[in-house]
Amino acid sequence: MCRSILTVLRGTQQVNSRKARRLLDKSKTFHVVCGVSICVFSVVHVCAHLVNAVSFSVRYSDDFPALNVAQHRGQVTHTHTHTHTHTHFPGITGVILVLILFLMFTASSYSIRVCNYEIFWYTHNLFILFYIILMLHVVGGALKYQTNVDTHPPGCIRTNQTNSSSYTSSNQVPETQTKAELKEMPHITVCKEDAHFQHHFPQTWLWVTAPLCLYCAERLYRYIRGSAPVTVVSVIRHPCDVIELRMLKSGFKARPGQSYFINILCVCVCVCVYWFQCPTQNKETFGVHIRVLGDWTVSLLVGKQRKSARDQILLGLTVCMCVCCSGGWSQYRLRRLYVVWVCRELQCFYWFANLLCDLHHKLWEENRPDYLNIRLYLTNTQQLQSFSEERFRLLSSRLLIGRPRWKDIFGEIGRSNQHKKVGVFCCGPKSVSRELHKLCNSFSASGTVFEYNKESFS
Amino acid sequence: MGKIEWAMWANEQALASGLIYLTGGIVGVAGQLKGWEYAAFGIAAGVFVCLLEYPRSKRAKGTNYERTGQYCFTVCVKAFGPLTSNYYVRAFLHAALCVPGGFMLATVLGCVCLGMASLIYLSAAIHGEHWQPIMPKSEPAKSVTQSIKHPPQNPPPRPPAEMRRKRAEDLESAAYVNPLPVTANE
Repeated sequence: MCRSILTVLRGTQQVNSRKARRLLDKSKTFHVVCGVSICVFSVVHVCAHLVNAVSFSVRYSDDFPALNVAQHRGQVTHTHTHTHTHTHFPGITGVILVLILFLMFTASSYSIRVCNYEIFWYTHNLFILFYIILMLHVVGGALKYQTNVDTHPPGCIRTNQTNSSSYTSSNQVPETQTKAELKEMPHITVCKEDAHFQHHFPQTWLWVTAPLCLYCAERLYRYIRGSAPVTVVSVIRHPCDVIELRMLKSGFKARPGQSYFINILCVCVCVCVYWFQCPTQNKETFGVHIRVLGDWTVSLLVGKQRKSARDQILLGLTVCMCVCCSGGWSQYRLRRLYVVWVCRELQCFYWFANLLCDLHHKLWEENRPDYLNIRLYLTNTQQLQSFSEERFRLLSSRLLIGRPRWKDIFGEIGRSNQHKKVGVFCCGPKSVSRELHKLCNSFSASGTVFEYNKESFS
Repeated sequence: MGKIEWAMWANEQALASGLIYLTGGIVGVAGQLKGWEYAAFGIAAGVFVCLLEYPRSKRAKGTNYERTGQYCFTVCVKAFGPLTSNYYVRAFLHAALCVPGGFMLATVLGCVCLGMASLIYLSAAIHGEHWQPIMPKSEPAKSVTQSIKHPPQNPPPRPPAEMRRKRAEDLESAAYVNPLPVTANE
């Protein structure tokens, strides 16, 4: 979740291997795996503590009272007195830790993230409290170790002990033997002093501190970078409830494919969501397209003060747009770009119609007409729709009605680019994403290798 | 914050705490720990809570995410009417169910988690939310006539009748054979 650090790593020459970069792309999956592991092992830990509680109760030691956690023998299993084994400090911290973990875990499910992102966001920020309490969890704990094993080795005989009922049979000493006789017997050692026990030193901080410091540094860096204000240069309204924000930030150069965390203070206190940017003709400004879905996006439109938050779905395919629109394709080793855009309504294509046409003209003038291949698919087959404007003629000739047949598209791309690596970037619903992923993995004709990449917004 | 659906989160929490309650109860009964009667109650309460919370409610606005195979549970829960659709009732029910768990070590966690879920349900009820069943959408049967949008009004274009008729002076080039001999027009 250290996104700035990941961005830096991805950008450096050190991480040149494609495999390493794809591993960095899976950072979110890794985070989820870590979270699930923490939950699973916490369950194991709690169960172990329960078993410990039973053990402490059954094996209550009269000889070494300092070792006991139970208040008397059979506290948990037999007697009828009320139990208080978990009211000491580690018990309380343990319950609080499990409660925080429970809150974080239940708020992280897919449906909650999609429907109420802010519940997920705010509960996830409880992790700071979790880590602090975790480091205090072992203080004054139940686990102790003996500090003076050399002067009081295990199995030694105490000189002032008259009955030997609590010793094992190998240490049974008949009462008739005197102290002097005891000293002479070679296999019996006499304790020089009583056993001393001490709590284990907390060691959690050794494991947790370094990553926590890294994350704190990352958040500080993000805060410093984000403290400079951003000016909204223009707001353009597109059909189908989409607005385009053009922004300007001093000392900031937008690069293609970047994602942004936008904190809009006039609308709400702090709601931060990720957006993908789309470079504009003017190199100074950068723009984002936002679909108006919830109340805060509506209030952004009308400029009123309102409370915020809803899920917001960004329209797809801005990632690849950014790569080609930046004009710096020479540095990206990209030979050809296929844009396959599937929409329900024709109006949606107008969001990027100008951009696509300008790009096409620019490429035509640079004598690279085969660089960009646009395919627009309209899934709403109720009535015949087409681009009526003359300037969008190149788009209307590339408009196809109906759902795309991915296998045919893959076959065509494979035939045109034999023995090459094709990166597939998918941004859309899960069903399409799954189908594409399967096709990428199974497609083997014409020697082309398809690498699947997916963008997720939750 | 805008329209947060507290009930969705409370539902996830209640389902998870039902499972924790159930697990704690099983441990308590299996280990024959002190207060195992509370653990037995915990098992029953855990199962009941899981069954009650399994079907997700329909959202006021937006896509519904059903749990796998939740339809039969939806039907059962819907049958109880206002007892299950009102979140005040659910909040107090969960609060009442979680109390006995606090008396036993193994079910303490289930008690605390269910208590949290109860509080969030109370918050959902205060915000005016209520449980609605997700019923499967019955799609109207597509009538066959709809697929024929505009049948053609005119027959296909053909050459005029004089061109199509067999000519007496050129019988071999005709496309068909007449049963009666062809004579020229008088």
